[in-house]
Amino acid sequence: MLEIKNLHVQVEDENKAILNGVELTVNAGEVHAIMGPNGSGKSTLSYVLAGKDGYEVTDGSITYNGKDLLEMEPDERAAEGVFLAFQYPVEIPGVATMQFLKVALNSQRSARGEDELSTPDLMRLVKSKAASLKVNQEMLKRPVNVGFSGGEKKRAEILQMAVLEPSLCIMDETDSGLDIDALRIVAEGVNALRAPGRAMLVITHYQRLLEYIVPDRVHVLSNGRIVKSGGKELALELEKDGYANYTDEAA
Amino acid sequence: MVVATQKTAAESAYLEGFDAGADWLANERQKGFDAFAVTGLPHRRLEDWKWTDLRQLIGKAYPPARGGASGDVDALLANSPLRDIARARLVFVNGEYDASRSQAPASGDVEVTALSTATSALPIGETEADPIDGLNRAYVTDGAFIRIKAGSNVDAPLELVFIASSSTEATFTTRNVIVVEEGASATLFETYLGGDGAYVSNAVTEANVAKGARLDRVKLQMEALAAYHLSNLKADLGEQAKLQDYTLTTGAKATRQQGFITFNGKHADADVSGAYLLNEKQHVDTRLVVDHAVSHCTSRELFKCVMDDDARGIFQGKVIVRQDAQKTDGKQSSHGLLLSPRAEFDAKPELEIYADDVVCGHGATSGDLDDNLLFYLRARGIPESKAKSMLIAAFVAESFDDVANDAVRVVLNDLADGWLAAR
Repeated sequence: MLEIKNLHVQVEDENKAILNGVELTVNAGEVHAIMGPNGSGKSTLSYVLAGKDGYEVTDGSITYNGKDLLEMEPDERAAEGVFLAFQYPVEIPGVATMQFLKVALNSQRSARGEDELSTPDLMRLVKSKAASLKVNQEMLKRPVNVGFSGGEKKRAEILQMAVLEPSLCIMDETDSGLDIDALRIVAEGVNALRAPGRAMLVITHYQRLLEYIVPDRVHVLSNGRIVKSGGKELALELEKDGYANYTDEAA
Repeated sequence: MVVATQKTAAESAYLEGFDAGADWLANERQKGFDAFAVTGLPHRRLEDWKWTDLRQLIGKAYPPARGGASGDVDALLANSPLRDIARARLVFVNGEYDASRSQAPASGDVEVTALSTATSALPIGETEADPIDGLNRAYVTDGAFIRIKAGSNVDAPLELVFIASSSTEATFTTRNVIVVEEGASATLFETYLGGDGAYVSNAVTEANVAKGARLDRVKLQMEALAAYHLSNLKADLGEQAKLQDYTLTTGAKATRQQGFITFNGKHADADVSGAYLLNEKQHVDTRLVVDHAVSHCTSRELFKCVMDDDARGIFQGKVIVRQDAQKTDGKQSSHGLLLSPRAEFDAKPELEIYADDVVCGHGATSGDLDDNLLFYLRARGIPESKAKSMLIAAFVAESFDDVANDAVRVVLNDLADGWLAAR
């Protein structure tokens, strides 16, 4: 489903390489975790997948469902099924949450040649997904993320994911800033979305999230490369020994 | 009358085109003419006019004129955005009252006449040495006189529509006098619509909001894109009076609009806000002077200015807090959104505070759209142009959050959407 080959990325206008030959294949229905120390390139990988400006791919390729992802604009990638749950979701004053969800969903649907959803249908859809994520009506009435706590923002991200029903869910440090109750709610929301046709990439610094979202594969990213891959037990090993074994102190 | 500097073509046309007339306004016109003859058009060497040099901007002669509209006035009138919300309207075409197109309000709570035919002595106030006021006083042809009788709540909005359309260069001059008596309230729309040609529209509104009275005023400035719009709002607020003023500016080649708000009674409240939607080489300069002459008053100013292409927006806001005006609460903010590298926004906040127990603040920002917000919307599948429009619309919408009438906010939203769709 997702195939990353020899991906080299540097920050635009800076001669600083962040990713140095990432190789990763994620099949439909699988959940992969990417773990690594700060500065290893985890967030860069998620941004490059979603299409954020400011990064230059100097080598390699990303293929998604047989298509060249790097050739697509961010909105085209979203319509293709790519969803990034942000580490720091932004507040958008003046844009109502329901309006935002409606425009987002219908932009994707029309890009895929599907009929647009009416406002009442969208309201029903959102309400049906919101309750289990403890996103209340009051939150839905506010502008996108405005005045939300850290935990509320993360729940709102997962609600967007549930409504937009992407085929590739990328979660960038979704656990950061969450207390244990919020973590459980978020993880339950994510687990409810696990499906045979859907792949997930869970990016995290800590093993804790993976107790709730149990991955099929775990990869260690260090200095911009995947240096080790394994099963879910690899996460426990990292929790115990830290990342010291995987950071080469070249300097 | 000796004027030191050489007169421009525009100034000469004004001086030569003066006619005091024979109606009750003749005396006022003479006063205005005398004032203008001394000052002439303002220029950049005057601090308050440094960004808007009218001597240079209005290069040609635009002789004072009235009537004789060219083009389809009815089509313009039919497109007046607030027409369906208004319950009564007065129409002025090229500075002349057009009775046939007007529909006076039925209620006896309100007295409405054309200024030229008003018989009672009207409180036409003085604006010290202001060139727009001087010009307006000298050449005023007509306008609306509205009196809301004490204790009357006139909920139905009253619309004043000013249409300018001329095949030759001309200046049209209107003046409105609004009196909201004690405990009364009213909603007033002023819509400036442009048809053909290059003209100068000079529009002054004086509002006297008495004790416990409230005036909600919404102004739409949609002059022709070759026109000049010069306007003043002069508002005097009594004790516990409330002014809610909003201006949307999308029209004219160059605009100078001024607001002079004076608190004369305690516990009064003024909210003067607005937005600009500008493109090409449009130039808009708003200057506000809010004078807290007495204590315990609140003022709010919020301007959201969008500039595309080579457009230039300017906001100059002065808040004066006199020595006796303790417990003043004054807040001013102006924000420019630049959609092109050639667009420009200039902000000049000025606080003059002589009292020591006050809460006053100002904020001014200028920048382009936030890339992080844009990426967030795009990452959710929203195409770039739509995402930009959503963010611009949201930026503008904050400026009319406090406009009380729901239907008006919908119209303002639609106007912003229409502007964005045409980008």
